[in-house]
Amino acid sequence: MLLLFAQWPLRDWVQKYSREANDMGQIVFSIYVAVAVSAASRAGVHLSSSLELEGSAKPQRWRVWAVAACTVPWAAFMVWAGWPVAFQSAAALEHFSETRSPGYFIIKLAMILLVLLVLFESLWQLMAKRRQGPHP
Amino acid sequence: MAADGQAAAGTAPLNLLGNMAGLWMLLLLGLLILISGLPVWALLIGVASAFAAAGVASDAFGLQVLRAVPARTIGLLENDLLQAMPLYVFIGVLLRRVAVADALYVTFVRLFRPLGAEHALAALSVGALIAPTNGSVASSSALLSRLVAPRVAHLGTPQALTLISVAATIGVVVPPSLVLLLLGDAMLMAHLEASRLPGYVQAGQRIVNTQDVMHAALLPAVCGLLMWGLVIWFTTRKSVQKPPVAQIKSADSAIALIAIVTIVLLLAGVFSGRLLAVEAAATGALLLVGGTLFSRSLNALAWKTVCADALRLTGALFALLVGATTFSLVFRLFETDRWINTLLLSSTLPPLATAALILLMVGLSAWVLDAFEMIFVVVPLVAPVLIARLGDAQQAAVLLLLMLQLSFLLPPMGYAVLMARARSGLPAVSNRALLQTLWPMIAVQLVLITAVFSWPQTVHLLDAPNHQLASESPLSEEEVIRQMQEMAPAPSVDTDPQTPTARP
Repeated sequence: MLLLFAQWPLRDWVQKYSREANDMGQIVFSIYVAVAVSAASRAGVHLSSSLELEGSAKPQRWRVWAVAACTVPWAAFMVWAGWPVAFQSAAALEHFSETRSPGYFIIKLAMILLVLLVLFESLWQLMAKRRQGPHP
Repeated sequence: MAADGQAAAGTAPLNLLGNMAGLWMLLLLGLLILISGLPVWALLIGVASAFAAAGVASDAFGLQVLRAVPARTIGLLENDLLQAMPLYVFIGVLLRRVAVADALYVTFVRLFRPLGAEHALAALSVGALIAPTNGSVASSSALLSRLVAPRVAHLGTPQALTLISVAATIGVVVPPSLVLLLLGDAMLMAHLEASRLPGYVQAGQRIVNTQDVMHAALLPAVCGLLMWGLVIWFTTRKSVQKPPVAQIKSADSAIALIAIVTIVLLLAGVFSGRLLAVEAAATGALLLVGGTLFSRSLNALAWKTVCADALRLTGALFALLVGATTFSLVFRLFETDRWINTLLLSSTLPPLATAALILLMVGLSAWVLDAFEMIFVVVPLVAPVLIARLGDAQQAAVLLLLMLQLSFLLPPMGYAVLMARARSGLPAVSNRALLQTLWPMIAVQLVLITAVFSWPQTVHLLDAPNHQLASESPLSEEEVIRQMQEMAPAPSVDTDPQTPTARP
């Protein structure tokens, strides 16, 4: 919030560092949402037609399997296809192209973090259901 | 990459995976959303993955093309506009717990008392001030349900639900709403695409950006608000039963006054171009946090809950974007978008009839989908042709926003109505009874849509001066290319060329 707000005085009054503040904001945003997606899954607040953005603490077994069937192959593919890009970027400590500010590689790593958390969250939910026994 | 897909798509051995595959994707997605009740983002990803696997298996396109999915997801993570999303969500969550909205409501009740419809008009006014900074229709509905429902219950359940539903949709059209920001970004991309369609005439209009869409939407939004206010005043002014109004405290008046002045100043800053919408929202959020800290109205536990709720709700919204990005990529790999474009562009119907047909399709989709799904899945598909048929990107944007608003108000599936019914705690009411109070609002919306459709100049009265200049003299081809390059800066290293990286 501070970084987004700061862009205005930095641009209009200081007349520099506005883009740099934006870059930092992007880094913070990418890490925040990377964690947020699986936090939403854990809390059961994803949008669905049954009741929008309301939590359901104990999803039925078939729902857990169905969600895993949707997300696990996708997340695995994303790691496989995205890892070389993220790794190259991190190895080169890639900068933001416009401002040359450091840290652009963190955004690419955040994508990997996002999909890994989705993958682990789905698998964790599956294992938790298995531990609960045969009843849904 | 696209050529590869195009060539292969022509020789796809399965009919299912021809150009129409995208339509099957949409149909299956819609069915699964309605039948299964599973998270929409997971269904978007699941349907896209299944069709992508089928596409690769049938040689409709190669596996290599799908490597664009991670690049597109990185595009979302580095999108300037989306940085505002957690901010709006945070404001929405915080507003539900602090007394700003309550103070505004009480102040408006006092203000409108001489007119005789104070509670209803206060609900609409609070919606107009709060909804644009509230993130989403769902968030506005949650706030208004808590704040307004008990205070307008004396008007009868249908009227109370109507008020909450209508007030919750105001954030769709009044800047600096997140829906409007995201639609502005989507329209920029759609306008670029439209300018590449065969037979498209630029007609002197430069590629629109978020600011242009805001300028275009403001006047219709204000007109709609005034007309709704008039209808509400006319239908509720003679209500005999009125709940007692708490005495207004000087602290409430001060909070309300500060809030109104701040919102109006920020809005003026956005409108005059001094502030980006995102910066205005950040300024508002900072002031709200400062005020809340200063008044000590939340303890540490409450702050923790606000932050945790904001994180989860942001995750829920961002997951939708990730799902929609994957879905739309696979949809495009089957070239269903081109097929639809060709179909609509080669239609023998007059251009305006085609545009009306597209708007009807958008309205039907918005009846079952929410604003974010519409903006990230449906709008990118239909907006280029809509712009091409209307010849005016700003008019197209405003019509899309008004159609979303209209669909959200149509029972039983309309999103705002659905949310108001689920969250207000008011007794159940039949659709027929609800429609009896809702129809004047729907009629107002239809009048607005018809007016904007028939008189495109209604969206240009508040155009920025440079935009008006651009409209007066047709642009050269070089100028169009220059503007397109400006609007879509070169992507960063390894980013797919299709990745949207536009600035607000």
